[in-house]
Amino acid sequence: MDVSKVEREKEQELISRAQSGDRAAFAALVREHGNEVYTLARRLVGDPHLAADVAQETLIRAWKALPNFRGDAALSTWLHRITVNTAWTHKKRARRHGGLSLDEVAESEAPMSAEHPEMAGEILELRGRLRSALDALPEAQRQVVVLKDVYDWSHAEIAEAMGISVSATKVRLHRARARLARYLEASA
Amino acid sequence: MNVLCELAAPFVANSAVEGTDVARPFRAHVLSCLRCQARQVAMAKVAREMSAMSSEAFRAPLDLEWRVMSSLEGDLAVARSWRTPVALGAAVLSMAAAILIWRLRPRAQT
Repeated sequence: MDVSKVEREKEQELISRAQSGDRAAFAALVREHGNEVYTLARRLVGDPHLAADVAQETLIRAWKALPNFRGDAALSTWLHRITVNTAWTHKKRARRHGGLSLDEVAESEAPMSAEHPEMAGEILELRGRLRSALDALPEAQRQVVVLKDVYDWSHAEIAEAMGISVSATKVRLHRARARLARYLEASA
Repeated sequence: MNVLCELAAPFVANSAVEGTDVARPFRAHVLSCLRCQARQVAMAKVAREMSAMSSEAFRAPLDLEWRVMSSLEGDLAVARSWRTPVALGAAVLSMAAAILIWRLRPRAQT
């Protein structure tokens, strides 16, 4: 039996227990997927503090919706969808309350894999600039480009998660990539 | 700076990310323009990096689990907070009703 199968079965057991109200099992799932949820939230909203709030709310929503999780998709995919919805809700809320713009460039924060010494300096430098360029994109464009070009979602999946049409996702992606290219060219 | 380069820029970026040909109206221009070709190469590199970013992760705040679980605990506390008074109220009401019925019961005349 391969490791991934064992892990899947272990996760399935945790999900079943959490669905029947076992909070310790849910805490284990939070530990397992917390970084992943936070990473997506961080990429979608830019600001690390807001990303932490989005991740927290995502996981609380996940707990409430867990009884309806049928396992048609992987748990991580399901959590990603909730993260996108939650990030979107936070954005609307922030706008309504006239809070900080989500497009403000966040403080520099390196992802864990950047600690790897084998990564060439040039790539690290490009990733740094890429992260800044993504953070500088308008929220709606950033979300589409992150979901499509980083997470490889289909246009239909993005449209469904963001509550917009497929053609709107295509237009946003087109604009986002052009803007990204310009930012990167200017920062080179 | 060529105006055509600027018009072609979004299509160059898209073709580089998607790994497809540049849209037909700009294809001939890009084939003859070193600047657009350089942009295409740079954007292809960026696309590879974006794809690689899916496997890297930011470290979630250390208190994320605590924040989530204590929020759930809070929800349960709220749920419990109305259950107890309602149960007590129902018990008191049923006792009062029982006493009233007992007091108002028809008594045999002696």
